[in-house]
Amino acid sequence: MFSSLVVQAILSGVTNGVIYALIGMGIAVIYKGSGVINAAQGEFSLIGAVVAVFAMKAAGFSYPIAFIAGAVFGILLGIVVDVVLVRPMVRRKADEDAFLLLTIGIAFAISAGVLFFAGRDYFTLPSIGSDGVAIVFDATIRYHAIWVIVACAAIVAALRFFYRKTSFGLAMMAASIDADGAATTGINVAAMRTATYGMGGLLGALAGLLVAPIVPISYYMGLVLTLKGFCAAMIGGLTNPMGAIVGGIILGLVESLAIVFIASAYKDVVAFSVLLVIMILVPQGILGRRGRKGG
Amino acid sequence: MRRPWLIVLVVVWALLPWVLGRHHVDLLVFAAIYTIAGLGVGLLLGHCGIVTLAQSVFYAMGAYASAIITVNLKLPASLGFVVGMIASGVIALALGWPVLRLTGFFLAVATLALAMIANALFFEWDWLTGGTVGIGAIPKLGLFGFVLDTPLTFYYFAWVVAAIAMLLVHNLVAGRTGLAMRGMRDSLDAARVLAIDVHGLRVTIFVVCAVLGGVSGSLFAHYTGYVSVASFTIDKAILFLLIPVLGGAASIPGVVVGALFITFVPELLSKLGDFHGIVFGLALIVVVIAAPHGIVGTIRQWRKRALDESTATPGEANK
Repeated sequence: MFSSLVVQAILSGVTNGVIYALIGMGIAVIYKGSGVINAAQGEFSLIGAVVAVFAMKAAGFSYPIAFIAGAVFGILLGIVVDVVLVRPMVRRKADEDAFLLLTIGIAFAISAGVLFFAGRDYFTLPSIGSDGVAIVFDATIRYHAIWVIVACAAIVAALRFFYRKTSFGLAMMAASIDADGAATTGINVAAMRTATYGMGGLLGALAGLLVAPIVPISYYMGLVLTLKGFCAAMIGGLTNPMGAIVGGIILGLVESLAIVFIASAYKDVVAFSVLLVIMILVPQGILGRRGRKGG
Repeated sequence: MRRPWLIVLVVVWALLPWVLGRHHVDLLVFAAIYTIAGLGVGLLLGHCGIVTLAQSVFYAMGAYASAIITVNLKLPASLGFVVGMIASGVIALALGWPVLRLTGFFLAVATLALAMIANALFFEWDWLTGGTVGIGAIPKLGLFGFVLDTPLTFYYFAWVVAAIAMLLVHNLVAGRTGLAMRGMRDSLDAARVLAIDVHGLRVTIFVVCAVLGGVSGSLFAHYTGYVSVASFTIDKAILFLLIPVLGGAASIPGVVVGALFITFVPELLSKLGDFHGIVFGLALIVVVIAAPHGIVGTIRQWRKRALDESTATPGEANK
């Protein structure tokens, strides 16, 4: 009986973990691409899910179309954030604090916007696949959760391929590593940063679209998701977006085992304490390859 | 008298509540309370370059200390203020010592994590804080046998406390500590060369910020007579950050402007429902992009520029 409880905790931990990983990857991609920690990453997830919900309920689109609409909206939001808000600040050579305040402002505005236009409701999306469950060692896992894990693996593989094999991805990497060098080879550095934010918006929205069938989404959840994603990215080492996968799964497991062994109420306390300890004691993360600024 | 405008300001301040309705006086009381908490955040942001999202924690500790001391333990209110300040300061020291080793983004995220942990604990430890039920019937403050039971009387008390806090912060900023803080913010290595204990100074200012938050929280508890976990969410922490950013983090009048903004804008927009949150978020974005020195800082820059132009000789102006 007890062992099945632990298996159950591991299954739900991995499911939550891959969601955190997606948010963490978004944070890491934007950090690597533009040197900014995006405090609004969880809000991208919120927006992605809410747009899909409204596309289905208000506009009457089918689930796949609504899903795509949510993802596309995430990309557009990321692009708008860069072009309208980040670009003037980069031109002014604003300091780190200013960027942080900017993304906090974006997060606050989006959260308040969802509250104003969509209300205090909790939004859910239908499961991918059927609503049934699979039985693993006396524990259950929803088919949707399996799809989430598969989707995450696919996204990771696609991201790896994109950044390593396509010229667009390589150009984005080059622009982030050495802006001046990239510019001399004809890469449009500003456009690459815009693409980076679009990528961050897409990853954020996908996380929201995948989590909404498991955990109902509401207007205030963005910052919590951001912090969980940041924790995933920190454990894995911020300079390595793939590390966020390992970090996310570790965080998800720690959280769900904390529910079993401590109390469900302290799940966030445990998760954020892990974040603080990691930041202070292991600033490179467990998979980080190179140093980072600021701590 | 070096500053004649100060007398005008004091006269306006003293007469204002007699002209305004009770509701607006109520808002001005909150502006005073938020000014005190915002001063601490402004000190960290404007002079040390530290973004803190943990001020709601210390605000909550001041409020809970006052509530528990006066309601549960039936002890005098002044003790509540003292315990709130000490508790805030000690916790800030204990948390700040390790956390302030971080800088920039990472420090800000760490303070956000602290605020979220604290909020969860305030919610769970209902044997101490009352959780969502909260603690009610907090007695009104008395001063020299005079009970501060109306917005009008509390208005004078809260703004006097705020003025004292402003004066203390002004002295801190104008003195050697202020120079050391700005030196540290602008050039860390140069500050180290001048034998400034960078980490110690950052922790000290973090503790000062927390104590101001504690005082602010105690005032809030006695003014509203009721505290619950709903008053100490992460939104409050962002509001406390918004106050100095909007007005101008390095300027003390700026903090007052910011506090007035966040108390009166929701009132002006109340017909639109929850619209003020969007305005706050957009205001933060616009100020950061267009007026990095805040409202007061930007006005000062304009005045300086206008002054420079008017004093410059025509020949120079045409160059």
